[in-house]
Amino acid sequence: MKEISGENAYDRYLEVHAATHPGKPAMNRDEFYRWRQDEKYANPGSRCP
Amino acid sequence: MSNSLRRYGIWVVIALVGAVCWGMLALARGETVNAGWMLFAALASYAIAFRFYARFIRDRVLEVDDSRATPGERLNNGRDFEPMDRRVLFGHHFAAIAGAGPLVGPVLAAQMGYLPGTIWIIVGVILAGAVQDMTTLFFSMRRNGKSLGQMAREEIGPVGGAAALIAVLSIMVILLAVLALVVVNALAASPWGSFSLAMTIPIAVLMGIYLRFLRPGRVLEVSLIGVSLLILAIIGGGWISESSPYAAAWTFTPNQLTLALIVYGFVASVLPVWVLLAPRDYLSTFMKIGTIALLAVGIAITLPPMHMPRFTEFAFNGQGPVFAGSLFPFVFIIIACGALSGFHSLVASGTTPKLIQKESQVRPIGYGAMLTESFVAVMAMIAAVTLDPGVYFAMNANPALLGDTVQSASQAVNGFGFSVTPDTLQSTADAVGEDSIVGRTGGAPTLAVGISAIFAGVTGVFGTALQAFWYHFAIMFEALFILTTVDAGTRVGRFMIQDLVGNVWRPFARTSWLPGNIIASALIVAGWGYFLWAGVNDPLGGINQLFPLFGIANQLLAAVALTVGTTILIKMGKLRYAWVTALPLAWDAAVTLTASWQKIFSTDPAIGFFAQRAAAQQSIQAGELNDTMAALGAASVEDARQILVNTTVDGVLSILFAVMIIIVIADASRVWFGIIRGSKEPEMTEAPWQESHLDSEGNVIEREPVGAR
Repeated sequence: MKEISGENAYDRYLEVHAATHPGKPAMNRDEFYRWRQDEKYANPGSRCP
Repeated sequence: MSNSLRRYGIWVVIALVGAVCWGMLALARGETVNAGWMLFAALASYAIAFRFYARFIRDRVLEVDDSRATPGERLNNGRDFEPMDRRVLFGHHFAAIAGAGPLVGPVLAAQMGYLPGTIWIIVGVILAGAVQDMTTLFFSMRRNGKSLGQMAREEIGPVGGAAALIAVLSIMVILLAVLALVVVNALAASPWGSFSLAMTIPIAVLMGIYLRFLRPGRVLEVSLIGVSLLILAIIGGGWISESSPYAAAWTFTPNQLTLALIVYGFVASVLPVWVLLAPRDYLSTFMKIGTIALLAVGIAITLPPMHMPRFTEFAFNGQGPVFAGSLFPFVFIIIACGALSGFHSLVASGTTPKLIQKESQVRPIGYGAMLTESFVAVMAMIAAVTLDPGVYFAMNANPALLGDTVQSASQAVNGFGFSVTPDTLQSTADAVGEDSIVGRTGGAPTLAVGISAIFAGVTGVFGTALQAFWYHFAIMFEALFILTTVDAGTRVGRFMIQDLVGNVWRPFARTSWLPGNIIASALIVAGWGYFLWAGVNDPLGGINQLFPLFGIANQLLAAVALTVGTTILIKMGKLRYAWVTALPLAWDAAVTLTASWQKIFSTDPAIGFFAQRAAAQQSIQAGELNDTMAALGAASVEDARQILVNTTVDGVLSILFAVMIIIVIADASRVWFGIIRGSKEPEMTEAPWQESHLDSEGNVIEREPVGAR
């Protein structure tokens, strides 16, 4: 369920962040989700009618 | 021998079951045929297509390579690029492709009987729609998730690319207008529906605040809260509709609703996404998946008989009261989503390919999700054809022919060759808690009556009172994701305009720049708002004029996607398999161009825009309605003036769409023959091969040595 709703996205972000930018501070949980929502809808894409 | 028997035995059984079900659908004698045959004919056909045809495309045509890293793996950044679990991605992709389209088209096409539409939904998805989605997804994935427009430009050329861009923008405008029109027709004079839908706005804002400030990321919680509030809003709508002062306050005319939708679309496009778009998206995804699952269970439990005949005479004479035109080409235009939908190529290129884990997953995600949408379309068809055909025609025929009362509607339906008593029409309206169901065009109310009858059949033990709740539940469910599409579509259109103008004047392209945001939003809203207003005020009923135009536009986009696919297959040296996309393309082009031809040149004023325009012009010059206009349902010279304007705009658009298709295909065939003759180098734009380090479950199989980065 957590996978489906994307609620474990923050944990995965921390993993990727630790691997790609070691030493740099990561966003906290709330910041991450706000940023992710903005990213996701920065180009909302299309839906089938 | 016994090995292959074990392997294929089950498929022989499935094929036999499918064949028997199809046989019952096509040939069974007796009063009615049970909808169960349709359900299982569809499922057996999908299973065989997925097992054999999709696998053939995967292994022979595309030659997917699971040792090759996908863009999600190579470019993983934890946001748009990310290898996502295939089951989760299937859900996301399905939620993005399935909207109101597969629910509306089959309902309208049911006027020709249950068989033509059903055959097209099932055969079309297997050979065309799912193939388009799967190949587009694959080609975009091999190109790091490039959009359809970018692929058209790079693989075909600047002319084809530009035509594709114009096609996308104009389709967006028509699409939003048609969908908004469906909402207006469903909510007009319905205080219950209007109240419940209006309540979704504060609910969405509440959810938005919750997700933004209170508990970011808690999507499950907030969706549960949202859905509970939504159910309360539907129950509240029932109280509103029964208490007269409030009922009057929540009863709106079509023009008031049009204005409200236009203002809403503009505001939603200008505001930040977290206020309306994002929470509405969660809400409608939950409602969509939940309702579709409920519907499948409901049909499987009740197994209703189908009352619509196999074919009606409208399949052959082209005089259908829901939309004019004969079976070929119009069934294939009216049912786009669920069989072949160009819109999916926009989702299949861009978002989804960046999230795929393994190349071979283009089969379950591209092909499989489209089969699921097709199944939704089959269920919509079942909901429509299990209704009394008399009720169906009284709801969907051109309102100008039906008149305002149940008596006049009953008479008109008799004129179509079906029968329904005024009492039946009134009691159906009473059962769903509405004043009247006559002339409720647009497909949504019909589907809602059908769904409510099926659900009420399941919950019948609690009495019939629940049918009104289920009706408004279904209306809400459709209107909700139409509004989500209006939100998202307006924003996409706004970005396209900002991007286009940005090429000329740089600051305009910045999507965060408020003046640019407001001007571009206003432009796009004005575009669809115009068509919506014209559709609502169309004296001959807007949906029957605009829906074919929308279908043509959608199939035009499919032609672009299939052309790009064919071009890439030829470039890959796969000429012998190019028929996989070229045959659906040929069919799609034949259908779309024939429909455009008839819409432009037909001398039948019910079909041809310009024939209708000429009749309107004559009436205006003569100062009184001529017989043609009167027969179509026009009531005054003022109506004729309105028709003159509408047919001019619609006719010009038809010409534009047809020209676009011809340009794209002609430009691409120049490339094809160049490569086949050897006079042109096939330039491939695939991202280079890199080895994958993920297994089929997404686990890392080889760790890179520490310090390699």
